[in-house]
Amino acid sequence: MSDLLLEIRTEEIPAAALAGARLDLFEKLRAALAEEGLTAREAQAYATPRRLIFIARGLPERQEDRFSEVLGPPASAAYDSEGKPTRAAEGFARAQKVEISDLAVVETPRGATVAARRVVPGRDASEVLSQALQRVVSSLSFPKTMRWGEGSGPFARPLRGLLALFGGRVVPVELFGVAATDSTLGHRVLSDGELSVSGPDDYLEKLRAAHVEPDGEARRIAILEGARRLANEVGGSIESDSDLVPTLADLVEWPGVVRGSFAQEFLDLPEEIATTAMRTHQKYLPVRGRSGLRPHFVAVMDNREDRKGLIAKGNEWVLNARLADARFFFEEDRKERLEARLLQLARLSFQDRLGDYLQKTERLQELAETIAHVVGRPDLVETVVTAARLSKVDLTTRMVREFTDLQGVVGGIYARREGHPDSVWKAVYDQYRPSSSGDDPPREAAGAILSLADRFDTLAGLFHLGLVPSGSKDPYALRRAAFGAVSIAISRNFRLDWRPVVKKALSLYPEGLSARREQDTLEDLGSFFAERLRNLLERRGHPYDEISAVINVGVWDFADAADRAAALSQARREMDFRSLVLAFKRIRNILGEEHPEAPRAELYREDAERALAADFLQARQAIEELAGSRRYSEAMEMIASIAPSLDRFFVEVLVNCPEEELRKNRLALLAAIQKEFSRLADFSEIVVEKEK
Amino acid sequence: MLTLQRLIAELSAFWEAQGCLIEQPYDMPVGAGTMHPATFLRVLGKEPWRCAYVQPSRRPADGRYGENPFRLCKHLQLQVVLKPSPEDVQDIYLESLKSLGIVPADHDIRFEEDNWESPTLGAWGVGWQVVMDGMEITQFTYFQQAGGIDLSPVTAEITYGLERIAMFLSKAASIYDIQWNETWTYGQVRHAEEVELSKYYFEAANPAFAAALLEGYERESRRALEAGLVIPAYEAALACSHQFNVLDALGAVSATDRVGMIRRVRDLACACARAWVATREEPGRREAEPEPATAV
Repeated sequence: MSDLLLEIRTEEIPAAALAGARLDLFEKLRAALAEEGLTAREAQAYATPRRLIFIARGLPERQEDRFSEVLGPPASAAYDSEGKPTRAAEGFARAQKVEISDLAVVETPRGATVAARRVVPGRDASEVLSQALQRVVSSLSFPKTMRWGEGSGPFARPLRGLLALFGGRVVPVELFGVAATDSTLGHRVLSDGELSVSGPDDYLEKLRAAHVEPDGEARRIAILEGARRLANEVGGSIESDSDLVPTLADLVEWPGVVRGSFAQEFLDLPEEIATTAMRTHQKYLPVRGRSGLRPHFVAVMDNREDRKGLIAKGNEWVLNARLADARFFFEEDRKERLEARLLQLARLSFQDRLGDYLQKTERLQELAETIAHVVGRPDLVETVVTAARLSKVDLTTRMVREFTDLQGVVGGIYARREGHPDSVWKAVYDQYRPSSSGDDPPREAAGAILSLADRFDTLAGLFHLGLVPSGSKDPYALRRAAFGAVSIAISRNFRLDWRPVVKKALSLYPEGLSARREQDTLEDLGSFFAERLRNLLERRGHPYDEISAVINVGVWDFADAADRAAALSQARREMDFRSLVLAFKRIRNILGEEHPEAPRAELYREDAERALAADFLQARQAIEELAGSRRYSEAMEMIASIAPSLDRFFVEVLVNCPEEELRKNRLALLAAIQKEFSRLADFSEIVVEKEK
Repeated sequence: MLTLQRLIAELSAFWEAQGCLIEQPYDMPVGAGTMHPATFLRVLGKEPWRCAYVQPSRRPADGRYGENPFRLCKHLQLQVVLKPSPEDVQDIYLESLKSLGIVPADHDIRFEEDNWESPTLGAWGVGWQVVMDGMEITQFTYFQQAGGIDLSPVTAEITYGLERIAMFLSKAASIYDIQWNETWTYGQVRHAEEVELSKYYFEAANPAFAAALLEGYERESRRALEAGLVIPAYEAALACSHQFNVLDALGAVSATDRVGMIRRVRDLACACARAWVATREEPGRREAEPEPATAV
């Protein structure tokens, strides 16, 4: 048993790509080893900005011998009546390069068959490893790759070293002209000279002594603990759920923390601006006290100590400069009211063919008004129209040009300062929410309406131009826009078919914008929304088949679809759905492509038919009432209640009977049931265990 | 005390010792050192090249009337290009910082992803912002494409923001407080220029004139190319780019126009790049092969 160590040393790989790269290396290498029949006792992968590391312990030194078995002619043809081998056997043995005496007879589905068994000797692990490592290292994938020097590459960043050891000996691997050795380098600045290592443990020890912490988790914990300590010392705390910490951990090899402060006067700036300056631009962790932001921050450094205090001083100087800048923009922006900036939006392009932001603003005002009506809030029309009018103006401000993440937020802050009512400035402030999956939707209905208007305007325009996302390319962030729309409609319980809103959005664009038919655009958007809805319902824990059942029946009223999914989920837990689902699948199969007319009572012959028809009529009425008042759970119960009658029907009645009239009528009854009950969900999509 | 003047001298001396030819700033308004033919054209093709130069970089829209302590209409870059990129280029860069009296172990120095792109030049690269104690001091880029052409060998481009570094090292409260030399501050040398340039670019410039120049230079560029004169064609393209920046600062470029204009300048730059590459192939056109650069 021996240990394997691999280190791929590069120039700094982007922090955002590191986690994925580590996983990629781990999975690919582990799979490659398993393919070769080499299983390790344990394996880990680590990543720092300058290294990708893989360690496998307890690998065998040789592959196990394998037995290959090749089937040949039937035993009856291979051996004669006296049990002696025939020409067929000889020929087979010769072709397989084994002795006739090595042939065996095995039982197969075809009967007794001759087989040639060969030993495939296991190869030396180090020989296998060389090829496996070579393959894996060349196949690693990164979001972006580059070339360097004389055209070496492509790789994430220039490759500068390879360390590959198995059982203490170098494994021959080479990539882009760099050959593997048994040594590496320590921290770029804090360590000098090469480190020769003998194996994983020696490597990890020497690396840490050379000021490199390979374990990302350890770096994260060190940062978090250090930051907390520093924040406590000034009577504050840091946000522990900050997604900055993992990023910071992936920017350094030997993390330390340092605290700095900024001028008290900058606390007069809106908090969002100060924290964005700290977080987004400088990657500092803001410090919060009980009454709000403290004039302190925690910065991470790729160094354990700030020996001369230069690092804290430097960072303080930079932050004060940025905050002074922000204040400068704030003062400059105040000189012109939002309303007065409107015309400047004509110079800002929304999209090449969809026009500028002034045009978008005009469309948004109309669309927001429309949406306010259709969601039953005509009282909000004035609010949303005002908010829509102001919504994009902040794009002309210095503040947003500098802090692009604060779009909407800055508009809201400025609107608040100008004395606009709460409902207006909050709507502007929240218009881009939810901006990511964990984010909350707009706080108030007006904000929700404005956000929906913006999203539908963008989606309708771009889809009509055919600029739809594909694969990983979504430059206009349409997936996020659509997901947000679905999410807002559901959280606000806005129940309506959104198609008329999409049509209205399309009508606001100039004639002849696109050669596509409105029909096709709507269809594409429908599929797009369906995927987003699926996504959202998956996050809510709905299994795939439930989502399909609900989506098949209707997508365009998102809130309604979510409700139906919830009801279906509950029904499934509480009742025996199985026989109902099987019955529906059966109905779907029997009906095929047929579209019968309504059933006629006088054509029923069997008791089971009449019973089913009667139960159905009763249930149908109840279901219509329940569904009408959105009591979907109870409606589902009603649907389930006819399962016994359906079962009895299938047992006692021959649907495809010879008498054409009766057959048609039976199909008609089943079709009526399917049609009625499928208004809530397509039960035939539900997966159940097959009956044995 | 490390004045701006000394800073430039030290860095230039350092890179000269690395085998860089010390070029001079290009005698036309450009937005960045990258646009100097010593970078844009020399990165194309196979011939090796090592060069360093200061380039005043003019960005009309960045003007602040001399009132903002950190932003300038025109700032100084120290541009270094190394083709092909050396294996130890990051280490050499750190040595350059040491030559300024910076002790890396006393600081926090990070290479943070920043991939540079210039739509007007049809160029892009992969690299980092070098961040020291929270301040971006250098753009470090491996040039992947220029003028729409994939580059091989790959050039390492190192661009120092000189005023920033000077400010940072002296912890000055404002760019104008930097010492240009022992006697003169940056403000004394340049403040008035900043005020006037800002006034001109934001208020006084004549948009009709700028637009006419843009159109005119575009035609000239094409004419020069047709006559087989790459450098004059490229210079005309640079002039277009600058006039576009002038119009932009005036607020005279509409949303749809912007997209079109950028495309036009890009087309010119790409045509020049292609023409340049073609000339490199002509027999007898290559300058004498330089002695390979030796690192100290």
